[in-house]
This record gives sequence, structure tokens and C-alpha cells, in this order.
Amino acid sequence: MRAVRVPPALLGAFAFGALLGQPAPAAAPAPAPPPAPAPDVASADAALPAHADDVADYTLRASLDPVAHVVHGEGTIRWRNTSTQAVRELWVHLYLNAFKNERSAFLRERVGGRGSAAPEDWGWIDVHRLALEVPDGPAVDVWPTAELHRPGDDDQTDARVSLPGEVQPGERITLDVAFDDKLPTVVERTGYRGSFHMVGQWFPKIARLEPDGRWAHFPFHHLSEFYADFGTYDVTLDVPQGFTIGATGPLIEWHLENGRRIERHVQSDIHDFAWTAWDKWQGMREAIDGVEVTLLYPRGFRRIAQREMAALRFALPYECARYGRYPYPVLTVVHPQDDVGEAGGMEYPTLITTGGAWLTPPGVLAPEIVTVHELGHQWFYGLVATNEAAWPFLDEGVNQYAEQDAMGRWRGPGSAVDLLGLSVSDAAIDAVGGDQAAHDEPVAQPAYAFATGAAWARLVYARTASILETLSRVYGDDLVARAVGVYARRYRFQHPGPDALIGVFEQVMGARVAATLRTALYDEGWVDYAIDGVSARRATRPAGLFDSIGGQRDKVEPGQADVEGWDDAVLVRRRGTLSFPVDVELTFADGTTRRERWDGEGEWKRFAWRGPVALRAAVVDPDDRVLVDQDRENNHGATPSGGGGAPRTLERALYWMQLALQAASP
Amino acid sequence: MSTAALEDDAPRRRDDLVLVTTPAMRARRHPFAIAALWAWQTAMALLVAWPARGLVQAAYGNDPRGDAALWAPGGHALLDWLWRDAHGLRSVVGSAEIALGAAAVLGLVPMAAVMIAIAHTRRERLEGRWSAAVVEIAAGALRAFPAMALLLVVVTIAQGVVVATGLALASAVESAARVGMGEARAQQLEGVVAIASFAAVSVLGVVHDLARAAVVRFRVRGFRALLLGARTFRLAPLTLWWSWAWRAAAALAPILVGAALASRAGGRGGFVLLVLAAVHQAVVVARAALHASWWAKALRSVDASLRRAIA
Repeated sequence: MRAVRVPPALLGAFAFGALLGQPAPAAAPAPAPPPAPAPDVASADAALPAHADDVADYTLRASLDPVAHVVHGEGTIRWRNTSTQAVRELWVHLYLNAFKNERSAFLRERVGGRGSAAPEDWGWIDVHRLALEVPDGPAVDVWPTAELHRPGDDDQTDARVSLPGEVQPGERITLDVAFDDKLPTVVERTGYRGSFHMVGQWFPKIARLEPDGRWAHFPFHHLSEFYADFGTYDVTLDVPQGFTIGATGPLIEWHLENGRRIERHVQSDIHDFAWTAWDKWQGMREAIDGVEVTLLYPRGFRRIAQREMAALRFALPYECARYGRYPYPVLTVVHPQDDVGEAGGMEYPTLITTGGAWLTPPGVLAPEIVTVHELGHQWFYGLVATNEAAWPFLDEGVNQYAEQDAMGRWRGPGSAVDLLGLSVSDAAIDAVGGDQAAHDEPVAQPAYAFATGAAWARLVYARTASILETLSRVYGDDLVARAVGVYARRYRFQHPGPDALIGVFEQVMGARVAATLRTALYDEGWVDYAIDGVSARRATRPAGLFDSIGGQRDKVEPGQADVEGWDDAVLVRRRGTLSFPVDVELTFADGTTRRERWDGEGEWKRFAWRGPVALRAAVVDPDDRVLVDQDRENNHGATPSGGGGAPRTLERALYWMQLALQAASP
Repeated sequence: MSTAALEDDAPRRRDDLVLVTTPAMRARRHPFAIAALWAWQTAMALLVAWPARGLVQAAYGNDPRGDAALWAPGGHALLDWLWRDAHGLRSVVGSAEIALGAAAVLGLVPMAAVMIAIAHTRRERLEGRWSAAVVEIAAGALRAFPAMALLLVVVTIAQGVVVATGLALASAVESAARVGMGEARAQQLEGVVAIASFAAVSVLGVVHDLARAAVVRFRVRGFRALLLGARTFRLAPLTLWWSWAWRAAAALAPILVGAALASRAGGRGGFVLLVLAAVHQAVVVARAALHASWWAKALRSVDASLRRAIA
């Protein structure tokens, strides 16, 4: 999921940049073509599994009442015990109950960010039947004995269902289910407004059973998302005839009946299903890289929809090359209008929601960023189905890196804003955002453990992406891309944890990188490179008394400058718990520069030499590779005459202030 | 009000200032006045720009590349500086707000001075005594200040009322149209209503400038000047509005040129920075000249309007 709204930092940067006229590169970068898959990538793709292990299959029929905003659902759930343990209970997620009252975990934990306001109209799910089919007998309704909430906790999003008998490892059961959803007004991903309906987290969903027999169940927390097993979803949707449907999976069949539109969507190898129905959707369709892409948008948003389609034209083949082919035949992109903006910026298998105002200027790339971000979730969440509640950085953080990478490759340094001479990259925004919370909490922790929504966003999204981008800039883009690509392919249709990711980095990039990654993710790792001293003294002979061979004693006065050259020295420090190899650029009085390399392992490094020219200044990490450097303002040092001053700032500040005065003056 | 000065086309004296003929009121004949206006704006801008420079100097002054990193594509250093030095930046922004507010009021004096320079010639100037002429113009501008200030208050309030009403109406229209037309079309309609209200505000602005011209031209007080301005506008509303509008539009073009050049210059310093600074200052001067040109047009218009009234 990604917040659709432009981050305040970006708005501030835009406002200030527009004020001062920060320049963009000389020419807008031409969109780079997606890289052709390397031979090893092609062969790696050939080795990808064709299908996931089918664990939880849902065959549902859902009928929408667009006036009451009620979805009536019924069908069957087939579930298989893939653990090594026999189980006597099921845990069932009833996510929609998060919006039933303010005693839900979701609404109790309003720590900022999306979904913080209570819905104007409550939403809930009522399960009427969950009947276990028994061979040679009537089905046993196990719902009446279900435990909807724990003692002392009114949250009803995590139900425990006792079974009449054990389900053995490998055994499959079938449950008949009937339920009614009352949708809330749109709040965080789901709901209605007028005739608009976005239907997510809408059916009783069986929690994932881990291989050791432990249920990975949890209430619907404010900051957490989801986790489920793969399976086949066969869903028949029934809406008024005038409505347009967008849904997970390809449309298998449809017909009109008694003023209703009936559509059947079927998709295997996925772990969730969402859909939208609205009588005002406009649409466009295009085949991209063999995938049928449908984009649904409101009237008046065609220009934005075309921009989003252009982003997909680049990003879909690019991400396939990076992280393995997209295995589904369709992709549906839903762009809600702004008054239901919380339905935007969300990912489901083969269906993503994006967002952005219809008037978004072409140089503000928010619609493109959100679209590329949600597309990336098809890999990091969809195909690599990590536990989003327990390890949100594994989906949002890694995917944020994928977003930065794709946007940067496509749009260059202006990958977030490229307007009026101001170019700001997606990576720069994340670097600064991540810095702001670097010492607050670890990145690698459950979503519900974060103290605030701001910390969650800055650490899970921005910090993770900045860490990976730093590794990319320091050790090489190819290596990090290969590591993430190996991770995405190796764990396709699986449910890896953090160790899997770090293990792949160790395999591809070595133990030092893996250790750095672990520290950065788990231990609030940080680093600050600093120039702690720059000196240039005219070379002098050492002063004092010196015994010579003949027994004479020579006296050298202090400051006796009878040798040529300069004694130059630079002290560089590394503070913090992370380390990266860095360059130190030395600038001399004659204008020449030289670079020294420091492996960054110690806490400090002194460079000292005698040379013909005086040193004037030094810069550590001159190419801005260490994005997670805590303080960039101490990355340089100079002798008293060595600094470059701030002439550009004076020039631009004067100019834009003059223009402002002309606007304000009579 | 005396209209004797309008009765023939010969330059004539009134106190120490000598009125010029209506067609002779041209901004292009007064490059020094335009330069003085630029100098005033530059001095005021420096009050804010210098502390901003100091803030950046403290952070990046020791970098041998200076503040080039701040202006590099990608914006990492810029964003980082905005966050890290937010407190200092807030004080600079606060200074800018004060400077802008002060300029809106104190700027009436240089504006009046430019108008006086355009509308009159001076006996001292005719006699080659420039410094005395400058003093005389400044004294005239100071004398015009109270009337100008009164006009500023009255018209600003009126413009505020129009804008608030227009935006409230626009918002109401958007809300009413949203369900039927959809968000985008409703907001476009809202934009049309808002633009219409800004057009009304610009009409008030034109009348305001005509009234200011009347203050300078006829030395009338605020409300009398407003009536003269309104009467002048009523005689040729479209012509006058267009005279203002094309200059306002033309004044935007140099900004785009300046932005494009800044974009090309990037973080480069040295000669490129000097050229950029020269172009930027040329943009500021060009805009000051367009302002002065409009004020000259306002002066000619109120002059002609009164001639027509007499005729």
C-alpha cells in the first residue's frame, strides 16, 4: 500500500525549490527502454515454478446491493493442512469488523496516517454459516461455537473456530460459508461513497497455518496488512446492470440477468481477491508484455490514466526482467477519485488501486509513483507472500526500493518532481524521510509495534529503501538488483521471512553486506561520515637538537622552512554502527583534485602526506552514495580559504525574492 | 480641482514640478526611474536573500564546491538541508513575509516616485540640477503616500471580499455539481468560477492603479482619486483591462526564461553563474519596466479622461 497524497516533505521541497529555482539536469532524461533480460535471467525465469501450492481455495458468489451497500456472499472454502501438525481449530480473519465500532483494534490504534478517522457509516461482516462438510453426512455448522473475540477485547476481526475433529497433515476440508458485508464509507482501502464501491477484505478468510503448526493469525491492526495462503479464487459477482466491475483475475464469463450484471472471475496462485463496482467508471485497455491491462478511472481523469498507462508500459516489462515474469494474464488498475482517495494506493493480486488529482501537473509524478509502487507489490506481497503484519518491511520496504529503482531508471533524477527547474528524485525523498526516524525504532518489527504511523512510514518504506539504495550505490546497482532478483525468484509462491532476504544478500554480496543489512534493519543501524580536520602547513624541518655522526649537535629552530612543499592532512571520521567503503575527494590550491579510498571499517582515518601543493578542502562521499549518512553537512571541510561559499543560493534567493516583491508590491 | 494644466500641450509649471503633455508620459523616457525601482526591489530582496545565503554558507560553505550540491539534480542535499535547517529556514521565511508586507506598503513611495517622474519634468532637471530633481520627486512621492495608502486599504478590502465570495461560490458550485458531473468536471467548473472572481479582482486592481495615477496627476485625495479612476475605467473598460493584462502576461514570460536558464545552469558556478545572474537581473528589470509602462498608460488614461470630461 502507498499513501496517494504527496508527502509534506515533497510539497515543502517543491515550494522551496520553486521559490529558489533549483535547476534540473540540462535536459529531461529520455525514458530508458526496459533492459532486455540477460541470458541468466531468462534461464532463471524458465526455472520459476508454474504454480503455487494450492492451500486455500475460495469459490464464492457475491451480490451487491448498491443502495444499502451490502454484499451478500456465499460459497465454499476448501482448505488443506500443510503443516506437520494436526489441528483442531481454524482461525478466520473478519477484517471488515475493523470498521464496526471504535473498540476494534484498528480504530483503537489510531496512531496517525490513513484510516485514522472513524467511518461516517460503520461497516462489518456477519457470518451466518460456516459448515464443515462431512463425508456421508450432513454438514456441521461450526460457526455457532466460534469465538469472535478474546476475553476483555472487543475486537472481532480474528475469530477462532473449533472443529469437531482433527485435521491431519495433508488432509483437506471443505466449508460452506454464507455471510453479509455491510460496507463502511470508504476508509483505508475499502468501502463506498454514493454508488462507488471498493470491496476489499470482504470475505471470511482463513489465516495461514505455518509449517510448524502455528497459526499466523492477528487482529486487523491499524498499520498492518495481511497474510494468507495461496489458492484458487473462483468468484461470481452480481451487480446492477449499469455498473462496471473491476476484479481480481480474468473474466471467464458474464451475462445480464433481470437487470443485473453477472461476472465470473477465476484466478489461481493468488492469496486475496478484491473488486470494485461503480456506474461511472470509464476504462482503457492495452496489452503490455503479454498482459491485458485494464485501467478504470472516473470521468475527467483520462489524461492521468494515460500517464499511468505510460508508467506501466515501462514498469511492467522492467520489473519482470528484474524480479521474474508476471505469471497472470491480466492486471486491473483502479483510479478512484479524490473523495474516495483512501481506496487508492492499495495492492491485491492482479488488481491495484492508484490515485492522484486529475489536475496533477506533468512534472509532479505522484500518479506514476503510486502506480509503479502498487505494481511492484505484485512481486513483493503477491508472488513473494511475506507476512505483512509481522514483517512489513519485507513487502513495503523492498517494494519501495523496487519503486525507486524503476522510477529512477525511467525518469532519472526528476523521478518524483521535475518542474520549473526543480528536480527531486524518489530516492532523495526516502533518504530524508528515513533519516528522520532512524533512531526511533527498528525497521524490522511487526507493523503493530510501531509507535506512530509516521515512524512506520519512514522506517518501513523510506529507511528500508534507502538502505538498499545505499548498498546499490556503494557496491553496484547490478549486485543489489541481482540479490533482490534472486530473492524474488527463489521465494516465488512462498512465504519467506527476513532471514531469507538477508541470506540471499550474503550469498550474492558477501558477509559484510549481510551484516550491515542486519544491523540496519534490526538494530537501528546508522552512520555519519565527517571531515574532522583539514590542514595545510608549509613544510618545515623538525625543530630541536639533532646529533650528527661526527659528534656535532645541530640545532634547528622551530618553523625553519628550508624544505619545499606542504604538509597536508585530513582526518575523516565514521560515527555509528554501519560502515561502507567511501571515497574522500581532496581539492588542492591549484584547483586539482584527487580521490582516496577508505574501507570505512575503523572509526577514523587520517590521510597525511607532503606534497608540492597546499590542500584546500576535502569531501567524504563526494558522489552521494551513502544515502543513509546521518549528517551530510559535515561531509566537507576546508582550510580558511578553501570553501566555495554559497553564491548560487544568494543568486537564486535574490532573484526569486525580487520576483516575489514585484508580485506583492503595488 | 484645477484643470488649467490640461488646456494646452505645452509643458507648464506647477510648484516645482512641470507637467508634461499626455503623449509624453512614457516609461521608456525614464530609464533612471526604472533603474531606481529595480534598485529599491533589489535592496529589499537582499534583506532576505543575504540571511538565506548565510544559512547555506554555514552548512555548505566549507565544501570546495560551495553550495553546488544543493542545486544538483535529484535534490537530495536540498531536501536534507530543508529538513535539517528547518528552524533557520523558518526565520528566513518569516523575514521574507515581513519584507513582502513592508514592500506592499512602503513600495507605494517608489511607485509614486516613478509615476511622478513619468508625469512631470522638473525645473531642476530642465536646468540640469539632477540631485535637486531627485529630492523633489521623493518629496512628491512622500506627499502622495497618505492618499495611496488609503487607496491600498480600501481596494485591498474590496478585493478580499470579492475573492472570498468568489471562492465560496466556487466551492458551493463544486459541491453541487460533484455527484452529477463527477469530481474532475465539478472541479473544473469550480475553477471557472474562481477564475471569474480573479478577473473581477483584476478589474478592481486596474481601477486602483488608475486612481493612483489620479493621485499623482491631479494631487487629489484618496476617494476622489478612486472616483476618477472608476470614471476613467468606465470610459474604456476593455481597452484598459487589456492594456494591463497583456503587460501582466508579458511579465510572466521572462520568468519562464529565467527558470529555463537556471535549469540549464544547474549547480555550475563561475562564469555560468555570472551569466545566469545577469539574465535574472535583466528579467527583473524587464518586469519593472513593464510595471512602469502600465503606470504610464494609467497616467495617460486619467489625463485623457479628464480632457474628455472638459471637452
